[in-house]
Amino acid sequence: MRSKFITMSIAISTLAFTLSAQAHDPKEHMKNAEKPDCAAMENMDHSKMDMNDPVMQAMMKQCMGDMEGMEGMSGSEAPQGDKPAQHGNESSTEQTGDNH
Amino acid sequence: MAANKFLRCGKCLMITAVVAMLGGLAFLYSGLYPMGADVPHNGLTYWGLETMRERSISRAASTIEVPNDLASSERLLKGAADYNAMCASCHLKPGKNQSDFTLGLYPAPPNLAQKGDDHGHDGGHDDNTYALQRQFWIIKHGIKASGMPSWAPGHDDERIWNMVSFLQRLPELSTRQYQVLTARSDSTKERVH
Repeated sequence: MRSKFITMSIAISTLAFTLSAQAHDPKEHMKNAEKPDCAAMENMDHSKMDMNDPVMQAMMKQCMGDMEGMEGMSGSEAPQGDKPAQHGNESSTEQTGDNH
Repeated sequence: MAANKFLRCGKCLMITAVVAMLGGLAFLYSGLYPMGADVPHNGLTYWGLETMRERSISRAASTIEVPNDLASSERLLKGAADYNAMCASCHLKPGKNQSDFTLGLYPAPPNLAQKGDDHGHDGGHDDNTYALQRQFWIIKHGIKASGMPSWAPGHDDERIWNMVSFLQRLPELSTRQYQVLTARSDSTKERVH
């Protein structure tokens, strides 16, 4: 009886610890997450995009599934992989037409 | 004669030190110092706390090794989602200038959607490597009595570096870019799994 009680106590405290450790698991954030608004990217002039900019590459990755317009892009315009960030690069900001 | 003078001076200094110590203790126990977050520190206290904070971070962070792929889009994306979930309510985002936290916390958390020069909480250093080390250290360890928690429990170093990566580009982002980067798309879910 006593060993049953101890086993139950250990099991409950282990479960509580595991749940608290998962509190900041990235998957936890998914539950209330909103979807990326990729509509603006579809209307952008892709020829003017700086595909070497990590911000633009990241946006492309986010919207890859949603963007049909990107299918017509030439190979040279598609993301080439990561290059160092070009701080102050205005091109990516300008293309969205939503400067701050 | 000279030794007598020295002894008298030493006694004087000791008495002054004891009186100052007793005065300090009396002030601590009196409860006179306003502890509410709605009353700012006086100039001297603020300077003392700020100097202690910056010196402590500088000493602790200067040996941290910065990864050389911080600018990668993969890090940017992972860090963006975490920033939005964990930091944006206090440190804001493009298109937002205040929140209940920024209005009520003291000291007010810096608006990280602005450049360091604008929010004035970059530690006053021009050294970019140190700026990265400092941001990493603050996210990982937090800052006592400031509202900034330590994210080390439950977040490994890689995940914290991802947030540092995102912070480097945050001040340049438009509201639309921010929305796309911080949202959790199906591809984000695949990356997380």
